[in-house]
Amino acid sequence: MDDAAEILQTGAVRRTGEGPSPAVSAREARRQVLYELLSGVSGLILALFMWGHMFFVGSILLGEPAFDWLAEGLEVTYVAQPTVVIILALFILHAVLAARKIPAQLRERRRFVALAKELHNAAGEWRSEGEESPLRPHVESWLWIWQVRTGMVMLVLGSFHLVLMGLDILTPLFGERVGIEAATSIARTSAGLVWAYGLLLLCVEFHAGVGLYRLAIKWGGGSRLRRKTLERVEKFIFWFFLGLGFLVLLVLAGWIPPPLAFLLGG
Amino acid sequence: MTARKLTFEIFRYNPEDPESKPHMQEFTLAEEPYMTLFRALNMIREEQDTGLQFDFSCRSAVCGSCGMMVNGRPTLACKTLTSDLADTVRLHPLPAFKLIGDLSVDTGTWFRAMAEQVGAWVHERAPFDPKAVEEPMDDELAAAIYESDRCIECGCCVASCGVANVRPGFVAPAGMNRIARFMMDPRDARSDTDWFDVVSNDDGVFGCIGLMACHDVCPKELPLLEVYAYLRRRALGTAFLKKA
Repeated sequence: MDDAAEILQTGAVRRTGEGPSPAVSAREARRQVLYELLSGVSGLILALFMWGHMFFVGSILLGEPAFDWLAEGLEVTYVAQPTVVIILALFILHAVLAARKIPAQLRERRRFVALAKELHNAAGEWRSEGEESPLRPHVESWLWIWQVRTGMVMLVLGSFHLVLMGLDILTPLFGERVGIEAATSIARTSAGLVWAYGLLLLCVEFHAGVGLYRLAIKWGGGSRLRRKTLERVEKFIFWFFLGLGFLVLLVLAGWIPPPLAFLLGG
Repeated sequence: MTARKLTFEIFRYNPEDPESKPHMQEFTLAEEPYMTLFRALNMIREEQDTGLQFDFSCRSAVCGSCGMMVNGRPTLACKTLTSDLADTVRLHPLPAFKLIGDLSVDTGTWFRAMAEQVGAWVHERAPFDPKAVEEPMDDELAAAIYESDRCIECGCCVASCGVANVRPGFVAPAGMNRIARFMMDPRDARSDTDWFDVVSNDDGVFGCIGLMACHDVCPKELPLLEVYAYLRRRALGTAFLKKA
């Protein structure tokens, strides 16, 4: 049976109406706005944080001294310590709030996936071209499925990374001193963490890129900037940070020397 | 140019008949110039299988009866030219609605229930006075209301919506479009606070997860993305700017 049949066979059909009535109390409605807002805002903050994060770890491209100088700078000024705690809290909050949209039952998920797949693959079974094309290719449903999947991977790998960084920043467990050091980061990454971090990076950039695009559309960014423009911005952000992230990982894994070390005379 | 030979794979099932099992049936047909699915399906019914069930009425994208899944996309069969489709055409009934048989679904019950849920009629401020001069309406607002009213209730947006397909209580894009239409209307007595209880929950606008499929498949090309962004902003405004 193909996807279309799958959608039909696991059907949910609306019952007849229960008559006009407010769906929820005003108090509950207020709570729902708050959930929606917190879910969006936490996602937005996390995405913005990841951009800042990328530039901080990007300092490794200038060599180990630059990385250590920046890390220590953020620690002696007590920026790093509260940040790691707040980000962990936001990370969990976002996971809880965003997960409320994931269908609970397996058959609902199968239906959801089948529908998204059908819509996505439809582009191959339509052949319309030219200015009167009735086909607006649709990928966003399929992207949502992958946002959930990458979110699940991030929940595991991201939690691990955040706890590891928390231990690094707040305890003397790793390295010479309390705090993040280039030498320990490189040792850990080159010992094999590079694979986990590579996967985490891919998931983060995809999830954040699509998430920002969707957030903008949801609250009306589509009427200011055209959707095409937003899509292009999303793609640019994705590839830019993915490229930069992989470069950083290659250096941390010890596979290439810091490419910009010459700037500091290294 | 020789005409293409089109293969139609059509979903067949009669829920009324206990013997009937859902299956795909194949038909072949020679393509004609400017052939629509409306024409193709009628030819199949006339020449090959008189029992084939599907709905049509206006054949000009106004009545909204002929919504179906065409090669994976919900759309109006009367508006679809076979020349826009690959050699094999897969046809399924719209999901999320009650199946009547083959390609025919009951959209009416769904839309009736939705209309009752959101109160999709003008709640008059005062009893209608036929002798009074009609209140003027701003051109832009009238145009915006008219734009929402272009919805023909074909159900394509509902069928394309992942959420509407798993949560039967969700008002879905068509319902949000209705809400926005009456929310904008100055003749309607309901205030933002009244709407708040209907809009601001998981069966209302916050059930929407921004999949955008509704906007992409709408045969009338209604600006559904703008509709749900509008409702979100109104809900937010009500929550923070107004005392309920």
